[in-house]
Amino acid sequence: MGFRNELEQDTIDSLPLRDAAVVRPDTTASEAVRLMRETSLGCAIIIGPGDAPIGLFTEQSLVDLLARDQSLDACVVGDCVDPGFLVVKSGDPVSRVWDAVERDGLRFVCVTDNDGRSKGVTGQRGIAEYLAERFPQQVLVQRLGNTPWMQQREGA
Amino acid sequence: MSGTPQSDPDDFDDPLSNYEPTQYASELHRVLAEESIDSMRSTPIAEVTADTTIRDATKKLSELKVSSLLVIDDEKLVGIFTERDVLEKVAENYQELVDHPVSEVMSADPTVVYETDPVGMALAGIAVAGHRHVPVLKMDGTVLGIVSPKRVLRHLSPNLD
Repeated sequence: MGFRNELEQDTIDSLPLRDAAVVRPDTTASEAVRLMRETSLGCAIIIGPGDAPIGLFTEQSLVDLLARDQSLDACVVGDCVDPGFLVVKSGDPVSRVWDAVERDGLRFVCVTDNDGRSKGVTGQRGIAEYLAERFPQQVLVQRLGNTPWMQQREGA
Repeated sequence: MSGTPQSDPDDFDDPLSNYEPTQYASELHRVLAEESIDSMRSTPIAEVTADTTIRDATKKLSELKVSSLLVIDDEKLVGIFTERDVLEKVAENYQELVDHPVSEVMSADPTVVYETDPVGMALAGIAVAGHRHVPVLKMDGTVLGIVSPKRVLRHLSPNLD
């Protein structure tokens, strides 16, 4: 069975989900930034009626505001949503997230339960961790740092 | 006649005679383990110098719609300035910091990979170390490019079946 089949058969439940800050459209950008720092996550989910995700305020949204010298206290997140927005259900195949990252370059994907309520976010990090877990001998054994492998070897 | 005795070529025992190349369960396993990062697309890159102001660096992030800027001085990577740095170190005091150099808030000594490292190492930098973008260096230490989750997945996609 090819890995593409695994992506089609595994559901998004099997991806690491992160608890994102949840905000309303009228939340100020400065408050969203505070919540994002608390959660150490680069986005806040904007929810509407029924707690359904209706947009994302992301680090890119923040950068765009600052670049335009806009006050974070004067802006509400509903006016500066990130254009990259996708909602999936936790029972959908993992391939939906893979495609969103690979083809559309999305960083975050909102995940809901079957009733449409927000469960959290996954995305680039989630799909990377999913891959690493499935290929541990090719990924998890790698040295990490900022010196070449050759310089880390002991001996002659 | 003294000295090292002549060896008989017929007695030579090739230590690699029983070598068998690693067998991988799939092409995807092989790509992750054996293909080098320089076979991936790792350009273009967005860069600034260490004395670039935070204002200009932030504007560059916004205009280019990128998540990170490599901070390069004299062709050497000295740091990386990312959207996360903006969130964590800049946003709350932006007006006070705008004219400061980006070197004050960049992440110095970032995790890097080298062009000859396997693709799996780029993925490790993202999945294990948790960096969205991992600079790629040539063996002489100069910058070759940067890898992202999107670039890794695009490289792997032809080998999924």
